[in-house]
Amino acid sequence: MSDFNVNVRGVGSVSVIDVKGYLDAHTAPDLENAFNSLLENDQFKVVVNFNDLTYISSAGLGVFMAYVETMRENSGDIKFSNMQDSVYNIFDLLGFPVLYEFFKDEVEAVNKFSDEQ
Amino acid sequence: MQLPLIYLRKNTKLEYAIVISVILLIFKIIYPVADSFITLFVSELLILCGAYLWFLYLIEFLIVNKTNTLALILNTGILTAILFFIIAISSAYVEAGNPPTGDQDFISTVFSVLISFAFVGAFLYILAVFRELFFLRQKRDPKTYFNTMLFFLGFAFISNLFVYLDVTFDYLRNSFYVVSIVLISINSLRVAWIAFLQKKQKLYLLAISIVLTILFGFNFAFTLEETIIRELMTNFSPGIHTVLNLVMLYGTIYFGVIFFTTLFHLPTAEAFDRKAEEVSSLMDLSKLITQVFDFKELADTVTTITSNVCNSDSAWLVSQEAEKIELRSVNNIGYVEADRLTNALLLEYAYDIKDVLILNHQPIKVKINSDMRTFNYASLAIAPLKVHDEINGYLFVTRKQDFVFDDDDRKAIEAFADYAAVALENAKLLEKSLEKERMEKELDVAREIQYKILPLDTPKHEKIKVSALFIPAFEVGGDYYDFFKISENKIGFVIADVSGKGISASFVMAEVKGIFETLSRLITSPKEVLIKANEILRESLDKKTFVTAIYGILDLQNGVVTFARAGHSPVMYVNNDKVIQLSPKGIGLGLDDGDKFNRNIEELEIKLKNDDILAFYTDGINEAHNGELEEFGYDRFEKLLLKNAELDPDIISNEIMRELTIFSKDRSQHDDITLVILKWCFNN
Repeated sequence: MSDFNVNVRGVGSVSVIDVKGYLDAHTAPDLENAFNSLLENDQFKVVVNFNDLTYISSAGLGVFMAYVETMRENSGDIKFSNMQDSVYNIFDLLGFPVLYEFFKDEVEAVNKFSDEQ
Repeated sequence: MQLPLIYLRKNTKLEYAIVISVILLIFKIIYPVADSFITLFVSELLILCGAYLWFLYLIEFLIVNKTNTLALILNTGILTAILFFIIAISSAYVEAGNPPTGDQDFISTVFSVLISFAFVGAFLYILAVFRELFFLRQKRDPKTYFNTMLFFLGFAFISNLFVYLDVTFDYLRNSFYVVSIVLISINSLRVAWIAFLQKKQKLYLLAISIVLTILFGFNFAFTLEETIIRELMTNFSPGIHTVLNLVMLYGTIYFGVIFFTTLFHLPTAEAFDRKAEEVSSLMDLSKLITQVFDFKELADTVTTITSNVCNSDSAWLVSQEAEKIELRSVNNIGYVEADRLTNALLLEYAYDIKDVLILNHQPIKVKINSDMRTFNYASLAIAPLKVHDEINGYLFVTRKQDFVFDDDDRKAIEAFADYAAVALENAKLLEKSLEKERMEKELDVAREIQYKILPLDTPKHEKIKVSALFIPAFEVGGDYYDFFKISENKIGFVIADVSGKGISASFVMAEVKGIFETLSRLITSPKEVLIKANEILRESLDKKTFVTAIYGILDLQNGVVTFARAGHSPVMYVNNDKVIQLSPKGIGLGLDDGDKFNRNIEELEIKLKNDDILAFYTDGINEAHNGELEEFGYDRFEKLLLKNAELDPDIISNEIMRELTIFSKDRSQHDDITLVILKWCFNN
């Protein structure tokens, strides 16, 4: 099983989560921890950068579903960026593009937050 | 060298001994005084045989009735004391002016014979006890030494007969006598068993052995002196008198040796006791390790034993798992104190504890309930519980008095900590394997649910051929497919995949089955069925879980298929040598509250032609991986469908599964695989 890595960094008032590798039921808890730490610090504006993510399973998708409501209730959001086509197809099939915003580039996603204000 | 007749049965020995004793008694009554060589010879022969058989019987008696060593010695002491008493009384009696009985009336004959019997019985018992003590704790079999001595005692006995014949044979008796003394002295040195006594027992033995040395010494002296007993015994049997004399000497020497040996063993007695206790504690522990599945019980034993063996004031044991410290057992210390001390000590020394760490005279300050308390221990030991260089916990031992833990204490603590470590590891492994077993049971249940939920049959109709294939993964997923007869000419079908795995996914799957079974009867539009299903599922599913599904209806009259898709993998439509992915818009069930879902779902309608194929499946197929982490993907799937399009649906799905298995042979199946293939076989 290839590894999964998650890294959180701040870009202005927005938090960017870099995900890398293989996100499935076994690695999803790592991502959950990252989201939990954001909530603890009242960080509700989140961009997830998928640049290095090669696979996502339904359990991985479930993580975003679990947190998006809380983010939106606190005038934040989870936005996705830099997704590879194979990963995007999975999101697309499920109809995520209707529910979440997807961006080609992380900067666009981050800027979208400031535009919203 | 074996003693003759030793293998006789115990009861036989007793019978023979009694018979000979009775004959001897009668003989002695008839011939109170041996006035010829013949009577003396017969008398001595009977006595020797009788005494020998009694001796054999007593040996076996002592072996069968295993008595405590010290109790044996005490018995010997009592017998010796009685002998001494009798001798002293009788001497006093004679000295008081009563002449030794010269005339032999019947009563006094019987009386003196019985006294002699008592003496003989007593010294035989004593001799048997000596033999028992002699063999105690002997590693090699030393019976030759003892038996040789017995033979010489026998020779000394018999030599008296020769002396009777001719006084010049005196030298013969004397030499046997001397040799016997030498052998007795040699045999008296076998006192290894003393070392194994506890200190208290040694003190007791010391006292008793000095008394016994003196008593035996007196008895020995009295049998030599001109006492009435000497006369009585000599009269009864000159041989017995000699042997009695030697046994008394044996007792004097033996107990003298015992006294001095015990005296020299006393200083080391405590250390020896401790070692012995350590060894037996460790043995108890190692038994416990295999028996106790409950770690708490074992931890209690470890702290208790450590406290006892190391003479400590308190001991406690903590386990450590992933930086989490848990107090498992305390001995003679409060729970809170132990907890705070542990925290304080580990905070300060945790990185230094590779082996047993001993802190001497270091006050430890801890805060208990907003109270600063200082613990002044003379010595405190912290022993890591190590298995394969991994620390699973710590054993703490403290001592308040002045003596600090020495090297022996350190070794003992280390040994106990090692045992606790192994036990802790065992307990952990056991827990893990129980957990694993529980999970496997759960998966079995999940698999069972899944099989019960899936339909047993595929629809049968002249215009269609349907195959359905389901292969669960080890960690059961939540795949589901089903067919519903909606009306005479309409068949409903559904394929769904619940996110997540295991028993929870199985339960959602059961719910999904209920929803579609009901909705298929109530609502005719596939799109509306999915909208309603989303409403229901949105209420019941947790945030993280969603369900992808395709629901459709096939009209058997005209081959029109109407279906809608909720986030599920596209339908593969094989028509005229090409494969088309049918993917009408639609969001997964349970992802959205309703509004967006309802606005974004489309219904698709296609009219099937002869030999058209529809393949519904779950992502277990396209997401199957090979050894290089490559996905099976849609392309391979499409090609296989095309290649086998001419064949029956059953064969097509077998072919696809075969290819899939070959492709992913290096990887375990990660997700359930479901494949439903429908072929239209009617030219309309």
